[in-house]
Amino acid sequence: MTRKKLVVIGAGMASGRALEHLFDADPDGWDVTLFNAEPRGNYNRIMLSPVLSGEKSYEEIVTHDDAWYADHGVTCRFGEKVTEIDRTARTVTGENGTVDYDKLLIATGSNPFMIPLPGHDLDGVIAYRDLDDTNRMIDAAAAGPGARAVVIGGGLLGLEAAAGLRLRGMEVTVVHLMGHLMERQLDEAAGYLLRKDLESRGIDVRVSASSKEILGQDGQVRALVLEDGTELPCDLLVMAVGIRPNTALAAEAGLAVGRGIHVDDQMITSDANILAVGECIEHDGAVFGLVAPLYDQAKVVAATLIGDEAAFRPKELSTKLKVTGCDLFSAGDFADGEGREDIVYRDPARGVYKRLVIEDDRLIGAVMYGNTADSNWFFGLVQSGEDISEMRETLIFGPAYQGGPDADPLSAVAALPLDAEICGCNGICKGTITDAIAGGATDLGAIRAQTKASTSCGTCTGLVEQVLQVTLGDDFQMPAAQPICGCCDLTHEDVRRLIKGRELKSQEAVWQELGWKTRNGCHVCRPAVNFYLLADWPLEYRDDPQSRFVNERKHANIQKDGTFSVVPRMWGGITNAAELRAIADAADKYDVPTVKVTGGQRIDLLGVKGEDLPFIWDDLNKAGLVSGHAYSKGLRTVKTCVGTDHCRFGTQDSTGLGIKLEQILWGSWTPHKVKLAVSGCPRNCAEATCKDVGIVCVDSGYQIGVGGAAGMDVKETERLVDVATEAEAIEWTTAFIQLYRENAKYLDRPYKWLAKVGLDWVKETLASADERARLVAAFELSQSIYRKDPWAEHAKQAERYQSLADLTLEAAE
Amino acid sequence: MTAPVTETPTMDTVVQAATDTFIQVCEVWVPEGDRLVLAGGNYNGLAAFEETSRKTSFARGEGLPGKAWDEARPVVLKRFDGSYFQRIEAAREAGLTSAVAVPVFAGATLKAVLVVLCGDDEARIGAIEVWTEDHSGMLMLDDGYFGAAEEFAFVSQHTHFPKGQGLPGGVWAAQAPILMRDLGSGYKFIRASAAGKAGLTTGLGLPVATPAERPYVLTLLSARGAPIARRFEIWDARATRDGRAILADGVCERDGPLWRDDGEGTRTEAPTATAWKGVVGQVLGSGLPVVAQGGSGLPADYTSFVGLPVYRGETLTHIVAWYN
Repeated sequence: MTRKKLVVIGAGMASGRALEHLFDADPDGWDVTLFNAEPRGNYNRIMLSPVLSGEKSYEEIVTHDDAWYADHGVTCRFGEKVTEIDRTARTVTGENGTVDYDKLLIATGSNPFMIPLPGHDLDGVIAYRDLDDTNRMIDAAAAGPGARAVVIGGGLLGLEAAAGLRLRGMEVTVVHLMGHLMERQLDEAAGYLLRKDLESRGIDVRVSASSKEILGQDGQVRALVLEDGTELPCDLLVMAVGIRPNTALAAEAGLAVGRGIHVDDQMITSDANILAVGECIEHDGAVFGLVAPLYDQAKVVAATLIGDEAAFRPKELSTKLKVTGCDLFSAGDFADGEGREDIVYRDPARGVYKRLVIEDDRLIGAVMYGNTADSNWFFGLVQSGEDISEMRETLIFGPAYQGGPDADPLSAVAALPLDAEICGCNGICKGTITDAIAGGATDLGAIRAQTKASTSCGTCTGLVEQVLQVTLGDDFQMPAAQPICGCCDLTHEDVRRLIKGRELKSQEAVWQELGWKTRNGCHVCRPAVNFYLLADWPLEYRDDPQSRFVNERKHANIQKDGTFSVVPRMWGGITNAAELRAIADAADKYDVPTVKVTGGQRIDLLGVKGEDLPFIWDDLNKAGLVSGHAYSKGLRTVKTCVGTDHCRFGTQDSTGLGIKLEQILWGSWTPHKVKLAVSGCPRNCAEATCKDVGIVCVDSGYQIGVGGAAGMDVKETERLVDVATEAEAIEWTTAFIQLYRENAKYLDRPYKWLAKVGLDWVKETLASADERARLVAAFELSQSIYRKDPWAEHAKQAERYQSLADLTLEAAE
Repeated sequence: MTAPVTETPTMDTVVQAATDTFIQVCEVWVPEGDRLVLAGGNYNGLAAFEETSRKTSFARGEGLPGKAWDEARPVVLKRFDGSYFQRIEAAREAGLTSAVAVPVFAGATLKAVLVVLCGDDEARIGAIEVWTEDHSGMLMLDDGYFGAAEEFAFVSQHTHFPKGQGLPGGVWAAQAPILMRDLGSGYKFIRASAAGKAGLTTGLGLPVATPAERPYVLTLLSARGAPIARRFEIWDARATRDGRAILADGVCERDGPLWRDDGEGTRTEAPTATAWKGVVGQVLGSGLPVVAQGGSGLPADYTSFVGLPVYRGETLTHIVAWYN
C-alpha cells in the first residue's frame, strides 16, 4: 500500500498531539515531513515557566525526542524555515529544498505581541514564547544579585515569568495595564489575593499602569518609563501582553485568513488538502491560546486525515498559574450579568476565596484562590451544565458536603471535624469550642472568655456562632449587635477598627480579609467601606464613585421629576454682583424654572436637565463658582452673620472666620453631611447652636459648640471648648472634624456619634495639643487629594465638546 | 566509597547505591507519654546501632530527638563527641558522625521527629541545610551538614535569601515544597557556582512548621555521585478532600520526570495516593514520617523510602518523599 505524504509546518504541541493520534490510528499510512523554525522538536511549551524557575529541566518537558521521530519515520527538518506553499503543485519549499504533499498541516502557532513603545528594539527587550526566550531570561538572571527585570503584562505568562525571574534572584516589577492581575481569568477578589501573594515574594506589582517608553544605554535596555513619569530601572524587559496567530505563510499561499487561518469543524482550511491546527487558526470567530482546545483540535485533525468523522467543538476552559504556592483556579464565565447570582466563601485566615456563579440553576463559572481542592468537581459541573438547585445551599463547600435534598447550610459546620480550626488567630479548633459549650459556655462572650476564639480579628465570630447554633440548637440566641449588613458579621465599629489595625487599603482587601460573604458588598456596606477606606488611607485609596449614592455620583441632587438642582458654593454666605450675574445668566440660558435662596445662605438652581449639567457647571466655573457639595456626605455650608464688619453687636469677624473654615473644610468627605455656623455675638443670628459645629463669638474669644441638630432631631450644641484666638478656633474645629471622620460610624451625624462616644472622651482627646496637631495634619493630608471642585473635571469635558461644535459652525459658515 | 549508578542497574549496583547514599540511617521517633520512642527506621545494615536505638528513648530535651522536640526547630549536629548525643559509642562503631533532627509539628502538637544520620567521608558530597529568618527579614543559614562540600558550606554560610529568591527563599514564600533541578549548571541561582563545583544537582526544599512564628526551611541538596536519593517526589495533600494526595512533582534517575501536568489546573492525569495504601498513603493516613525498606510497595528497583509530612498549622499540606 502506498503511504500518503503528509507535510507538517510547525512542531508545536498541537501538531505533535495530532501526529500521536495519527500514528495510533494509522501507524503505517503516512510519510511525514516535519518542518520547524526552532532548531528542535516538540516540547511542552506551557511548562517553560517551571524551566525558567528551575523547577523543571528542559529535558523533562521534551515531548518527542529524536528516537520518537525516528521510530515513526518522521523526516525532521528542524531549524529550517518554510518559504513557500505552492497549492497548485502541492509542494512546500523550505530553506533547504522542496517536498510535495498529499495533505498539508499548518501549525505555525502564534507570535508574541510586542508593544511598539519607543525603545522596544533595544537589547534586553524580549518576548516570552520559546526556549530561547527562556534561556535569555535565565542568562539575564545569572548576571548576579541585584539584576532587575520589568515584566509588562500581568496575565498568566507574565506572572509566571516574574515569579521565575524572582526565584532566580532578580528584582522584579510587574507592570499591568488593567486594574487587577489576570483580569481575563480572575475577578477582583482573586486578583487581590494573587497580588498579595506575589508581593509577599518580593515582586513589585503595579496595576493600572501604562507603559510609555523604554530607555536604553549603549543599545541595551536601561529602564521603562510609565505614563505617570515613574522610571523603573531594568536590565531585562519582558513583554508578555498577548499573542497573535502566525498566519503569514497561509496568507501568502492564498488561504482564507482572518484573525487566524480559517478552518471548519474538521480543521480543514479553504483548501481541502490543507488542514490547520493550534494557535494559528480561527474557528467560528475564535482564536485559541490555552492547550486544552488545541488537543481537541489535534484529535479532529487525525480523524479527518484518516477519513473518520469528527468535529471540533469548543468547550469551557480552566486555568492554572504555574507558580508554586499560588493556588488558583478559574473556569467558565464569571462576568456580571442579568439573572446571575454569586455564592461566595472566604476564609481570611487561610487566604481562601471561592466564588461560584449560578445562572438558571446551573454553575456557569468558578473562581478559587488559596484552596482549589474541589476544582475538578466544580469544573465538571461547569462543563456538564447539571442542575444544581438541589445542592445550592451547600454547593460552595464542595462534594464532601453534599447531603442530599435535606441538607442544611449549617450542616457544613456540623460536618467539620473537631480538629478543624475555627479561630485562625488563636489557633482554636472546633473541639475546643464544643468542649467549652459542654462546660456551660452558651454564648459568644463565654466562648471568648474560655477559649479566646473570636477575640482577635473577630472574623470567625460568625463561625463560632454557627458552632454554638449547631451544638445548642434553639437554646442559642444570636447576639443583638448588628453587623453592617448581611454581607458580613462585623459591626461598623469592628470594620473601622480592622481597616486601621490590619492596614486594609482597598475594597478587595476588606472583602477578603474581613470575610465578606458577597463578592463586592451591597448598597449598604459599599458606601460605608468606601468612606472608611478613604478616611484612613487618603493617599493609598481613592474615593470610588461607584460606591456613592446617586446624588454624590452625579454631583447634584436628583429631584422628583428627574431634573437636578445646582448649588454653587458661597463662602460664608458672601457673594457679589458678578457671581449673582453669572447665576442669573445660567438660570436664563438653561431655562431653570426655580431659583431659591437656601437656609444655608446660598442659591439653589432647581430643575436643571441632566444633559445640561456639565455646561451649566462650566459656565459657573468660568465665573469663579465651584460646587457647593449640596449633595454630599461632606461639608455643606458655613453660615455666618455679618460680625464686626457691619453689626453693632458683633464681637469678632464671624464672616471672616466662616469663610476661612469653609475654605479649609470644603471637599472633604465625612461620615454624614456637616453644617457649620459662626455667629458674631450671643444673639446668634447665624443659628450656630443647632449646627454640627457652631461657633459663637464673644468678647473674650470663641465658644465652640458641637453636636447640634435641627432636622428629624432638634438638639442644641454642647460646649466643646472656649478659645481666645481665631487660629485656635480653626484648629479645634478642624481637629474635631477629623476626629469625627476617623471614628464615627458611616451615616452618623456628629450628634449621634457624640452620644455614643461621649463628649467627655472627645474633649479629653482634643485637649492634647499633640493630638490636635496630628488630627489637623491628617486632615490636611486628606485634603491634598479632596480639596478640589468636582464640577471642574466634568466641565472640562463640556468645554472640549463645545469647542468642537464651534469649529463645525465655523466650517458651515 | 561511591559506586557508579548505571542506567540499567543490576541488583549489585542497587544494593551498592543504597549503601553509599549520602544519608546512611533514617529513623522516626514518636511521642509516647512524656518520651520519644523509636517508631521505625532504616539502619542500612548497621545492626548494632539499630539495636542500641531500639533500646533507647528520649525525654523532652534529651539527646538529639529530645532537643529538636524541646527547641521546636530542626537541629543539626556535626560532631557527636562531647555533645548531648546519647548514642555516641554505637554511632562511632557504625561510622556515623553527624545527624539532623527534623521535628514534625501539627500546630502545637509534636507528631514525630525524623532523624537522619550521615557518615564522614571525603567522597560524600551533598548538603542538608536549615534556614531561618535573621533580624532583617532575610533567610540565613541556621546550620547545615555538608559532608565534603566545604566550599559550598562556606558560601551558604555567607548567603542570605530574601523572600521569593533561591530555593530557600522560594520555599519560604510559597509555603510549599519545591524541587529544583540542575542546581549547578542550568540553574544559575545565587550559590550556583559553588553548587556546580560541588557537583550538586537536585535540591529539595520544604517548610518545617513549628509552633514558633519563626520560619524554618529545610533543604536537601543532592549530588550525582552520592545522591541523597535517586528519586524525589512531592505530593500535594490539599488537592482533593477525599483523603487522597496528588503527585505534584517528581524526578527519578530511572523513570525520568514523574509529574503529569496539562497546565489547565485539573491535573487529571497525575498519579494519586490514597490514605493508608502504599508507603505514601501511610504518611497521608498517619500524618507521621514513614521510613520503609525492602522492595515491597516501592517502585521497581528501589529498596528504601522516606516520606516526610509537611504541615501548615494543623493541616497536612504536602508529603515529600525520597527513595533509594
